[in-house]
Amino acid sequence: MTVHTPIDSRSRGIAPWAIGLTVFVFLVGGVYLLSNLVGQNPALAIPGSSAPPPASSGEPDPAIGEQLVANAQPSCATCHGADFAGSGNFPSLLGVEEGPVSENLQDLAAEHPDEWIALWIDGTTPETEGIDRGGMPAFGDQFTPEQIDSIVAYLKSL
Amino acid sequence: MTVNPKKLRPYDQPPKRRRKLIPDGPDSSATGFFVAAALWLAVATGLGALAIGMRLITLEFSFPLLFGFSFEFDARRVEYAFVNATVYGWLTNAGFAAVAFMTPRLLGRRMAMEPLLMLGLLAWNMSLAGGIAALYVFDLGPNAPLSALPWLIDGGLATGALIVTAAFLVTAVAGLRTGYVSLWFAAVALLSMAGLTGLNALIGLLEWVINLAELPVALASLFVERAMVTMWLLGIAYAVLHYVVPRATGQPLASAGIGMLSFLTWLMLAPIAGLATLVDPSIPFAITSLGNVANMLLLVPAALTVVNLVQTMPGRWSLLFGSGSVAFAAVSIAFLLAVSLLDALGSLRTVQELVARTDWERGAFLWAAYGTFTFAAFAMAEHALPRILRRAWGGGFLSSAQLWLAFGGVTLAGLALMGGGMAEGSLRAGGAAPDATSAVLLVYRGIAFVGFGLVALAALAFVLNMFLMYTSAEPAEYIVPGASPATAPAAGH
Repeated sequence: MTVHTPIDSRSRGIAPWAIGLTVFVFLVGGVYLLSNLVGQNPALAIPGSSAPPPASSGEPDPAIGEQLVANAQPSCATCHGADFAGSGNFPSLLGVEEGPVSENLQDLAAEHPDEWIALWIDGTTPETEGIDRGGMPAFGDQFTPEQIDSIVAYLKSL
Repeated sequence: MTVNPKKLRPYDQPPKRRRKLIPDGPDSSATGFFVAAALWLAVATGLGALAIGMRLITLEFSFPLLFGFSFEFDARRVEYAFVNATVYGWLTNAGFAAVAFMTPRLLGRRMAMEPLLMLGLLAWNMSLAGGIAALYVFDLGPNAPLSALPWLIDGGLATGALIVTAAFLVTAVAGLRTGYVSLWFAAVALLSMAGLTGLNALIGLLEWVINLAELPVALASLFVERAMVTMWLLGIAYAVLHYVVPRATGQPLASAGIGMLSFLTWLMLAPIAGLATLVDPSIPFAITSLGNVANMLLLVPAALTVVNLVQTMPGRWSLLFGSGSVAFAAVSIAFLLAVSLLDALGSLRTVQELVARTDWERGAFLWAAYGTFTFAAFAMAEHALPRILRRAWGGGFLSSAQLWLAFGGVTLAGLALMGGGMAEGSLRAGGAAPDATSAVLLVYRGIAFVGFGLVALAALAFVLNMFLMYTSAEPAEYIVPGASPATAPAAGH
């Protein structure tokens, strides 16, 4: 013989507060959703991937640069914002082709007009010695020069 | 008059009980799953302490194996082994045990296909043990932890999950319509678990056959990871809490209607919560926003459940101060609310930008896995094991140690990791150099290591308590579904 031990309940109905709470929170969620319908997701930080391989042709590739930016440690978006439009003390990365906005990079850009972005991202070469990095990490140990060129190509495409 | 057994002739001796190769008595599968769960808990907490320790000290090595393979030991592999041992080893075995224990008692019929369930137990745990070993040998690819096992292993896990799901459905399908809310939660959770492990195996197979691109594989694995938590672990935790609290307090559930409302809101939101992880330009922004909103709204079923279960307890508040099922369930309920609030906060894009790829995510995982889900499993074990083994818990001290070490440890470890994550995000935003950030993080990670060490001690207390119960505890009688009432007095259910 099988023993049946059901669990009873004191009430079968739903209290008005429960319905009210559910409707209210769903309304708040709906409003939040409506205000977040338009935008652009940042590139996915693929688990376990700190740096995808460089382009096989050796040419700078913005698509690879995008992946590298997403997987950089620390992530570029953390300081420069998810849309790279700048955040707090950190400058916007939009329009870097037109020259640096930060005063500390004016000399570097004047001396190396074509390479200053790559040199600044690298941060391990003699050209950037003595420049206050203001919290900007040096990525020279993380990426190869070809990968940094791809990152520059991506940043210029923004 | 005493009888010297040595003088008994063979035909005077009582017949020996024949044990079957595959046990099929009532509750045999529940017992098996509980024992497997306890062993995995010890393994998982050991791996967890190691994983947090490896955030403090970098340790990597490898050595060659046969056939050109090599054993690779690094932080990512230890972290993945920890997550798999926790979710698939400890929590899933405990969830299967809970299903095998609750279903017969709620429906009044024995669990169907009990011998097949034992094969499911074997398939699940052998696959998982092989899978965790494989994590140290094979390439992990772009996968998140719960999708990183080789596809053959995922196939074994899916087989085990399908067997348990099939046994549950065969037992419960006729009574599900009028069944208790725990059965509804368990039904959806089991179907999700079987589906998600099957999806993992399918993606792994496709990746092997047609070499899929990294991005879709990574996106799918992140979705599976989140869905496994919201659909399977959360679902089974709701099922367990709705079962244990009325049973352990000996009072009816406050409101069946609110229980069903909790189930329906969870059913609506949990499947789409995983969309929040699909953060890539190739995915429409509105889709990830929908996922974020679903994560925020999961606060609704959590809040409804908390109120419903608290309203079930009046008159039995003193049970909260012991170390029995109700105390464990109460801690689980508190963590359920806290984790739901954290998930809601963490779904705001501004918060995501601050804490993305920091220790925050691991701290939130610890609170969910070792707070909400582990304490729900402890509550179920505390309630079920005396009824299954028909023995009383032996060590009051061990139960108290288990409760307080686990509670203190997971609170400390989770807070330290989440605090470290916030500090890291703030320091980065404030322009601190990476070296300075790392130095600050060491303090937080050191505290987390100590905290998780306490959780590992709690796990040992649980395993030891179970062992003592099995070997030397006082007999206690409870009703067992399927047993003759004459041999099973009604001393509780």
